[in-house]
Amino acid sequence: MWCAGIGCLFLWDEIFLNAPAFDRVRAALFNTLVSGAGAVFLSLVLGWASGAAFFLLEQRRARYSFALLSLVANAIRSLPQVVLVLVGYVLLNQLILAEIIRSETAQLAWVTVTVSVAVFLEVSDTIRSRLEYFRSLEFIDAMLCCGISESRIIHREILWRNSREHLLHKLIALFGVAIFLQCSVDFIVSVGLSTNVSLSNVPLTLGSLLASVDSKQDILALSNLFSDPAYITEIVVRHLQGVSAAFCIVFTLVCFFMIANGYARSRRLNGP
Amino acid sequence: MKPFEISIAQDGRPLIAVAGYPVAEGVLTILFGESGIGKSLSALAVAGLVEPAELTISVDRESYAHYLARGDVREYRASGFFVFQEPSSHLNPLMTLRRQLNEGSLARATNEPDVIRRLWQGNEQEAASILDVYPKPYRPSGGEKQRVLAAMAFKKMSLLRPGSSGFFVFDEPTASLDNRLRDEFIDLLVDYLPQAPAAVLLITHDYSIVARLTRRHARLSGKVAFKEMYLVRGKQEVRDFEPREYLGWVSSLKPLGPGTVPAEFALRVASGMRVLSRSYRFVRKEGDANAATLTVYKGRMTYLKGGSGLGKTTVLKTIMGLFEPEKMVVEIGGRRFTRENRRKDWSRSVWGRKMTMVFQHADEALNQRALVRDVFGGLPGFESSERNMLDALAKLFDAEAEGSFLNRPVYTLSGGQKQRLNLVRSMILQTEILLLDEPLSGLDLKASAKVIHLLEQQLARGSAILVVSHNEDIFDALTRPEDVYLLEGHKEGP
Repeated sequence: MWCAGIGCLFLWDEIFLNAPAFDRVRAALFNTLVSGAGAVFLSLVLGWASGAAFFLLEQRRARYSFALLSLVANAIRSLPQVVLVLVGYVLLNQLILAEIIRSETAQLAWVTVTVSVAVFLEVSDTIRSRLEYFRSLEFIDAMLCCGISESRIIHREILWRNSREHLLHKLIALFGVAIFLQCSVDFIVSVGLSTNVSLSNVPLTLGSLLASVDSKQDILALSNLFSDPAYITEIVVRHLQGVSAAFCIVFTLVCFFMIANGYARSRRLNGP
Repeated sequence: MKPFEISIAQDGRPLIAVAGYPVAEGVLTILFGESGIGKSLSALAVAGLVEPAELTISVDRESYAHYLARGDVREYRASGFFVFQEPSSHLNPLMTLRRQLNEGSLARATNEPDVIRRLWQGNEQEAASILDVYPKPYRPSGGEKQRVLAAMAFKKMSLLRPGSSGFFVFDEPTASLDNRLRDEFIDLLVDYLPQAPAAVLLITHDYSIVARLTRRHARLSGKVAFKEMYLVRGKQEVRDFEPREYLGWVSSLKPLGPGTVPAEFALRVASGMRVLSRSYRFVRKEGDANAATLTVYKGRMTYLKGGSGLGKTTVLKTIMGLFEPEKMVVEIGGRRFTRENRRKDWSRSVWGRKMTMVFQHADEALNQRALVRDVFGGLPGFESSERNMLDALAKLFDAEAEGSFLNRPVYTLSGGQKQRLNLVRSMILQTEILLLDEPLSGLDLKASAKVIHLLEQQLARGSAILVVSHNEDIFDALTRPEDVYLLEGHKEGP
């Protein structure tokens, strides 16, 4: 469904959108998806590691290490995700100015890491709740009594065998969250948050594309529809760059929301 | 009523295909068989209690709807009773047990005092205190709930009149009862049977019932049928079970291990262990004032007995280091463990190396989402090659443990197969000490004999075994009197 929708949009853009603008839309979508997927992957790695670490430290009663890890996690949790990503962009700006980060790939990677730091605790929480639930089940004790290592039980038996569907569901939803965060912050930053934060040279994403002057005019043109509904024909032909960027964002978010919900229903993931 | 032909399928996959499911009017049918092969589901189908939404069901080659509409079926359903394996599923948490015991037609039965007195072994005061509570998951105990359901069934049985017909099912009615109560239940059933023109089906794994019925109630021989259900190439078959088969086998059992007490012990547990606010002590015989130290010698089997719900499993798990005791002194392979020790101490030197434990419920002791081959993964000292795994399985499985069996998900195995897999996993570790919690649970006679043969091999290798089991006939015969202990426990504090 998502592929079909984006495919139709690209077909339409191929016909009616000028080539440089169409290239920008494609590049923006590609960068956004790659960055979102990267953020999901990094969140899985960070979430898995921190979730398992929380569980093991608690099991082994390592109070100080547990408190330190909790402090870091709670500090991240206490900040709104958007603010965390914004802070990442401020740092990115400084790194670009200091010429430490130069290539577009490195800049995109930085954005990806920033988004994943903002969202990985959601994976960590899922992992902790799965481990907590399974800790009370008898097969865990039975395996321990047979000398099977705790690490094998956690990673292979609980998380891989019994939780991968829950994790996949979480990651699908997180992909939507990552795209939403990235587009929101890109939009805010590209419109111009302050004179200190202005990233005009970072790789193009759907958020920054939407914030460009052309796209903003395209979106503003939508208001004409209130006074002249027949203007819709002009919108879908003459204001395609902004409309395409907005469509890509909204359609992708809706689709991934529906995919996540559908997956949860089909796998009956509502229970523990 | 006559034997039924039952077929049940789910999404085209056959679950039950049995001809001659044993039910007969005026006969008490005792049905044995490994757990999970369809004994209960078949009984539920005959009693009209299966939810047909996701199943394709036929009884006597009729669709389920046609079968349930038959006049005779309606009569024996209305006059009968089903005592469920899990009694909580039957009881209404919003009504006291006493109200439920007198609900509907049960209020007309006059035999309640007799039934209650016998099921509570004369302790009517205790019964009265139980009957006035609302059933919740953990209160009353499983055994008390089972007795209440049995009392309902006996009341309903007393209402049957000549010429009427009723179908009574007791599904594992003695699973949570200790041996004395189990015997009382059987005696009660036998006393009510001639009075009622009913078909009575008793589904059980407890072969001790055979001994009680044949020794104590031989006069009933024509009214009792022993049957066994088993799987042949995925289809259920029912055959006659010869009581002599069991009685002969039990009488042939001899104490395992050497006759002389070895010099070295492997495990020693001091009386006075306190865990979860309960205090435990070990005695040699009932009423003994002197507490003993539970000692398990190398090459010998020690049998720990105790009433249902007393805490035998808790004691085993505490010895295994899974619970944190308030007080405990245990010596495992020469090393002393007390309440000061932490899980890591057991993890480093005990679990899977010096000592292992077979848990009571195989369903809960195995990862249901794993494949059979995965059950062998990560076991210390066991190379999980296909050949090794098949060799290990061959000890307790027949031809079924070949090739594709290793790739079967655990949840698709029958209860008996899971229990055997559960046992195999622990036994291949060849630890110095083996704790067994109800090792014969859910197994048929043939599988039980194989397990005992394996235990004998473990003992011959010098392992020490501590066993907890309700199968007193069997384990009393397998254990020397000096290796039998009785567990006593009492609640401390509020």
